[in-house]
Amino acid sequence: MIKAHFLSNNDTFCGFLLKGHADSGEFGYDIVCAAVSVLAINTVNSLEQLASVTPQVVSDDNNGGYLKVSLEKNEAKKPAVQLLLKSFRLGIQSIIDNYRDYITIENE
Amino acid sequence: MLMNLQFFSHHKGGGSTSNGRDSKAKRLGAKRADGQTVTSGSILYRQRGTHIYPGMNVKIGGDDTLFATSAGVVKFERKGRDKKQVSVYPTAE
Repeated sequence: MIKAHFLSNNDTFCGFLLKGHADSGEFGYDIVCAAVSVLAINTVNSLEQLASVTPQVVSDDNNGGYLKVSLEKNEAKKPAVQLLLKSFRLGIQSIIDNYRDYITIENE
Repeated sequence: MLMNLQFFSHHKGGGSTSNGRDSKAKRLGAKRADGQTVTSGSILYRQRGTHIYPGMNVKIGGDDTLFATSAGVVKFERKGRDKKQVSVYPTAE
């Protein structure tokens, strides 16, 4: 199961942490993993290329299953950044609504 | 960041595979050698399909097994251009 944490700094949404594996199917056919992967990785790429900010990204590229993305408070406050982070959270919530056996939010 | 769509999926090594099964070996092939003396009813060759055809004094069973129908000496021979057959030649009494 994937565990999602949304990070905040004095009420400013400033990043997220995803841990674990979805295990909704065999490697290569795990649809929940694919959905979460594209959502998270696209958010990172969008922050960098569209919002022109530099998030701190920590990921386990060998085993997968761990991705932490965090931003400095002044960068996190930018409207474009907030829009992308909230869009990410909306997407994660939508996946949970339909696949709650494979992903959950650890804290709100 | 590289778009890895299975970033949150267990790698191949982690999951179980659906391989690892095999049928029992059927020990097909020749059961008597060329020039060997056999009795009537002896099994000469076990096969699936007709790699080898029945020749003189040899019949083919339901599972394509070749067996002798009289006592004698086994002979593996050519049959036509590219086929083989096995025969049993009675020995002179």
